Amino acid sequence: MDFEIPEDLKMVQSLVRDFVHDQLRPLERDILGRAAGLKDAREYLTPETEEKLMKMATDIGLWGLSVPEELGGMGLSILGNCLAEEELAQTIIPFTFGDVTPILFECNAEQKERYFLPHFRRQRQAYIALLEPQDGTGLPNMQTRAVRANSDYVISGRKMSFSRAMDDYFAVVFASTGSEGEGVTCFLVDKDTPGFTVTGGEEVVGWRTQIKAPLSLTFADCKVPAQSVLGQPGEAFQLGKKWLPARRLVRGARCVGVGQRLLEEAKAHVESWQSFGQHLSKRTDVESALADIAVSIHACRLVVHEAAWKADRTMNIRREAAMVKLFATQMLRTVADRMSHVFNGPPYVGGLPMQRLCSDALATTTADLALELQSSIIAGDIMKGLKV
Amino acid sequence: MPQRIQVDVKEIESVLNDILSTKFPPVARCRLLSSGFSPGHALNITENIAGHKECIGCGNCIDICPVLAREPHRRDKTEQRTSMALESLVGEDCDLCYACSLVCPQVDTTIKHYIVNCRLVEVMSRLEQRIGDDQEPDLDLFLEEAIDAY
Repeated sequence: MDFEIPEDLKMVQSLVRDFVHDQLRPLERDILGRAAGLKDAREYLTPETEEKLMKMATDIGLWGLSVPEELGGMGLSILGNCLAEEELAQTIIPFTFGDVTPILFECNAEQKERYFLPHFRRQRQAYIALLEPQDGTGLPNMQTRAVRANSDYVISGRKMSFSRAMDDYFAVVFASTGSEGEGVTCFLVDKDTPGFTVTGGEEVVGWRTQIKAPLSLTFADCKVPAQSVLGQPGEAFQLGKKWLPARRLVRGARCVGVGQRLLEEAKAHVESWQSFGQHLSKRTDVESALADIAVSIHACRLVVHEAAWKADRTMNIRREAAMVKLFATQMLRTVADRMSHVFNGPPYVGGLPMQRLCSDALATTTADLALELQSSIIAGDIMKGLKV
Repeated sequence: MPQRIQVDVKEIESVLNDILSTKFPPVARCRLLSSGFSPGHALNITENIAGHKECIGCGNCIDICPVLAREPHRRDKTEQRTSMALESLVGEDCDLCYACSLVCPQVDTTIKHYIVNCRLVEVMSRLEQRIGDDQEPDLDLFLEEAIDAY
């Protein structure tokens, strides 16, 4: 049993840590808003700042860490990605090292040039149009339909997307091409395709940056050629199969990073505050809260690293990924709760990093229903008699 | 709600097994094999319905059915909550989990005991195979991608 992180990955981790500390953290005050009332808080960095950061990340070899080498990325291992994301999650700055959804890794040569690479270089945004406003997350009852018409498909329906709005974009649309919700096909739809309109997504500043409003995508008899099908028709949910389970580990690592930053904030708070002539750090309830946070983070980190280690050895990590998601969410909730003990009140105060860290991290874990699904995956394996 | 003296399963075991092996919601036929309303029923009516075996439309079977839970759009076809509606909505897609028979207030306890003791063991192994099928795509992963999109 070797718990030592390989030297090359340690170097990546240290590089990312320095980048986050020197380049991203100083920008936090810009994002959170300096003025009282959060009136100059922003949702995203300015395009100039983003471009500067992107160039810097590219120069030091951090751009495209999670993207396979054959697609122009760095092709870092899962463990390496987890280490990098853990560091990156320790800031509230909405910046990624060229993160691209693995669904787009399935692009063919033509689609790669037209969609993948511009998105990877952040020249075009990919709007992931999976969810529907009428049915929420009811994927099996997808209402958006694509009907075959000669060599084309005609898409009709409404979608919502949580992707960031940009001037140039394309949509990654999931539409039902079979009967009774069976056979979902994924299409890449260009911005100017007739019948495709996008509303919402205006730049949000001030206190409203706390609210993430989705984009609304409408497809009114939108005709797209058969070449715009991503992967095989009717097999949209087979896309990115090779990479998607590992993304759950990376999100788990992100939760660890958020927990780590919260611990840092808690430490700074208890060192600088006194009550009744005594430092907060000397109080037993605060000590207990800090210990709970530290133990939770450590346990979660081990779960993530072990799963990542297995994933890098191409072992099946379905159950481990489910465990990571379940445990990382619970860990973050525990940490957020203990933070409220340390701060003697809720850490969800607008304008503080803790608020954004907690809400952003918990948003990625969607809802309790999703956690129940993870529980059933784990329980299913127990029922099969597998050792846990 | 069934009679105090309920049906003896030994007498109906053969037909009950046939019913429970047929891929169709078994609740209505289990109800008809049962003893019917007891004289001490709790319905607020004056008519003597002791021994009657009608579905009371409580909707328990509709609510518990895993097929309808997985595919709720099937429920749009009717607002009825009777065992007949269940049969129409589910038909031969029945999972044979027997949950509908176990929650029906009109099915005799003796039949329910038989189902639990003699039939559920084999149901469990079959249902187990449905859990955690590695080949089945995990739609939750796609949801995470959509929600977590940058």
